[in-house]
Amino acid sequence: MAVNWFSAPAPVARRVRAYFAPVNRTTQTPVLFDPSEQAQFSLDTPPSPWISLGWIQGFTRKSGSKTAAVLTGVPAGTLEQVRETLEAQVSLEFLSWTKLTMALSTGSQHMNLLAPVSGASSAADGATAAAAVTVLSGSTSISIVLGAAAAASFSPGSIIALDADYTGQTGFVGSPVSGAYVRQALSDVDFIRRVTYNVALVSNVTSTGLTLASPLPGGAPVTGSKLQAVTGFVDREGGSFYQEWSALFVMEGSQGERIFFYYLRLQTMASAQETALPLDGKNEDGLARVLLQGQFLALPVTDPLDGERVVCYRSFLPATNALV
Amino acid sequence: MQNAKDSFYMALRTRLTAINPERTILLRGAVRPGILVEEAEAPFNQLPNDVFVLRWPSLGVDLSLGSTMVAEQCEIAYQTCGTQSFGGLDRGRSLSEMDEELTAMLQPFYTPKMNYTVTPSATMLTKVFWDEPAFGPLAIQRDRLSRSVNVVVYSYQEQGE
Repeated sequence: MAVNWFSAPAPVARRVRAYFAPVNRTTQTPVLFDPSEQAQFSLDTPPSPWISLGWIQGFTRKSGSKTAAVLTGVPAGTLEQVRETLEAQVSLEFLSWTKLTMALSTGSQHMNLLAPVSGASSAADGATAAAAVTVLSGSTSISIVLGAAAAASFSPGSIIALDADYTGQTGFVGSPVSGAYVRQALSDVDFIRRVTYNVALVSNVTSTGLTLASPLPGGAPVTGSKLQAVTGFVDREGGSFYQEWSALFVMEGSQGERIFFYYLRLQTMASAQETALPLDGKNEDGLARVLLQGQFLALPVTDPLDGERVVCYRSFLPATNALV
Repeated sequence: MQNAKDSFYMALRTRLTAINPERTILLRGAVRPGILVEEAEAPFNQLPNDVFVLRWPSLGVDLSLGSTMVAEQCEIAYQTCGTQSFGGLDRGRSLSEMDEELTAMLQPFYTPKMNYTVTPSATMLTKVFWDEPAFGPLAIQRDRLSRSVNVVVYSYQEQGE
């Protein structure tokens, strides 16, 4: 009989892929990843609402949990162990600069630089923005319907931020990703669009609207959404807001096996930092790639299976035909 | 080990056909994709131009694992004098084209391990995989530009091999 199994050595993986999804800050609900149902997803097209951040490097997991021995008897011997604290940290380096990687690697609020109105006085996080244009009905996550005059103010290559007007609310703002926590009412009607993650690149402009290069993270615009041009991004050292995301890290082995590290709640724990990686190892003073460093603290959740408090799930999908 | 070498070669050959179907060679009376294994052809005095030639110069094995891991170094050599229609002045472009084709052919960095000694060929249990290519320096001999690229191809020995 032909042998139809093999003994698989330890997985051989090239790199790690990272996926993030927004925690609902208002309800403190993380995004679930079920490895029994979703583990075979195409690494280029993760299941919604996970957002691919591509390859990362320097992925390091560090457990900060402490255990202690319960000692009994004379002389004292260990009766059992108890877990005194539960903590884990994750650090990594992003290989690209995008809205999301910048935001994840800053310990604070991350903002869009809205295109300023002509003659506006300067501000460190962007001057008063040019007026927003209203998104018309029929828009989707990748096709934005606008009036002809409004569409003409954009061109392929423009970056846009799309979200609701700020109307004086307090608490977490921005949907589906909370971009900020407002402690007291502000006066900037564009504030939500300053902090929204609903940004995209315009790939085409017609007289009826815009086509986006990638879908808006928030999906199809809701009624009343408005849109503004973005010139770049800015974050600050300081502030009281902490990013919080669900995160999924995937290592794919040479035989098709997969290792998943799933953190339900990760909060950025370090301020914005960059590292320079020389392109030529023999010329360390030459050109260098500037990498965003991310450092995260894993927060616990209660597993409904048995009520245990945990910070991370590690899953393994063996290669086909591998002995287990 | 031979199955891994065969699988790697056939993967590159299939991918080359998709990437640049125009790159062909007339060999033993048949037009084939422009990639060949040196040890599987009659000895050459001179490597053919505009064709990828695979050699297997060294081998390593790790016997300490549940399945023996084999690491085979594959040297992929290619050279060009450019095209006649441009009097060879496009030889740099032709070499760049081959650099790009090889880079594309090597991705993804794995392929199923196949047994080509049976008909039809049989898919085995494991995959063959390889590391990033190490591109060697350009060599110039008169109007001929050449390069060799090293790739370490890994595989697991399966029962019966």
